[in-house]
Amino acid sequence: MASPDFRAGFVEMLPACLGLIPFGLVCGIGAQAAGADALAAFGLSTIIFSGAAQILALQLYAAGAPLAIVVLTCFVLGLRLLMYSAAMAPHLATLSPRWQRGLAFVLTDQAFAAAIRRFNATHDPREGARYFAGCGAALWTTWQSTNLAGYFAGNLIPVSWSLDFAVPLCFIALVAPLMRNLPNVTAALVAAVAVLAFGALPMKLNLVVAGVLGIVAGTLAELAGERWKER
Amino acid sequence: MEGALKLWAIIVLVGALNYASRLSFIAIFSRRSIPPLLARALRFVPAAMLTALIVPMVVMPSGAIEPLSPRVVAALVAAAVAFRARNTLATLTAGMLALWTLQAIGG
Repeated sequence: MASPDFRAGFVEMLPACLGLIPFGLVCGIGAQAAGADALAAFGLSTIIFSGAAQILALQLYAAGAPLAIVVLTCFVLGLRLLMYSAAMAPHLATLSPRWQRGLAFVLTDQAFAAAIRRFNATHDPREGARYFAGCGAALWTTWQSTNLAGYFAGNLIPVSWSLDFAVPLCFIALVAPLMRNLPNVTAALVAAVAVLAFGALPMKLNLVVAGVLGIVAGTLAELAGERWKER
Repeated sequence: MEGALKLWAIIVLVGALNYASRLSFIAIFSRRSIPPLLARALRFVPAAMLTALIVPMVVMPSGAIEPLSPRVVAALVAAAVAFRARNTLATLTAGMLALWTLQAIGG
């Protein structure tokens, strides 16, 4: 089972896992604060298995948003998984359906970034797949244990540590490096202004409105830029 | 729908949609390539959607907009580190240290 590729994926994922510890703790604390029982908290981290979606779902649930709004907003957030899936698909095309279904389950921001680098470096899709599985195993284990620890022992962490601030920091770590091209900057700026401008909308609808406006703005900015270059 | 049942409905539906998105081009539409305009639009999901999540957490943690709080400054420090280092752990460390320092100074 533990091939060298699997082990390499597992070990090379550990620094990223270290960074996810506070995020996982906050997700567990959030589930506890929202009044979820232990089984529901475990369901959140195992079935959704996405920190951003868990935080968002809990925020909306606590705000009393209707089910349809919660699902829609989380779906827009999860659209990035479609992009990861499309980028990963050619590398996994020759694998068995069982491997495909298993690897899709652990397709997250962090595993995607690490595995796609490995796939691009190797010519053997099975080697890349075992590496990907190792990344996924490390992330999954870290995520479940930190979520559980946050749920049961989160109240031991003093409020003055402002641990909740780790959540925007984890997102900043993903977003800031993207700000090297103008369309992405446009998408982020429009989303930032919109989320505040529409802050009065009920049920945190400002999040999905800002997300969609940002996506449209980024796409238009890129198309305009290409047109400009063609001239 | 209220309480525990609603939370489980959220878990199952969001989980199923997330898994369907993860599986989409790997298995469900594996014979199809992604439409070009969709591919283009999807590339802006992280910048747009994650920014929409970040901004309220940083600028209005308690509901009212605070444009120059320790959180805003610490987030800018973290963003600068993330931009240069592209490293989650460095970003977290810089951001938390900046926040704690500013909170200690501010009392």
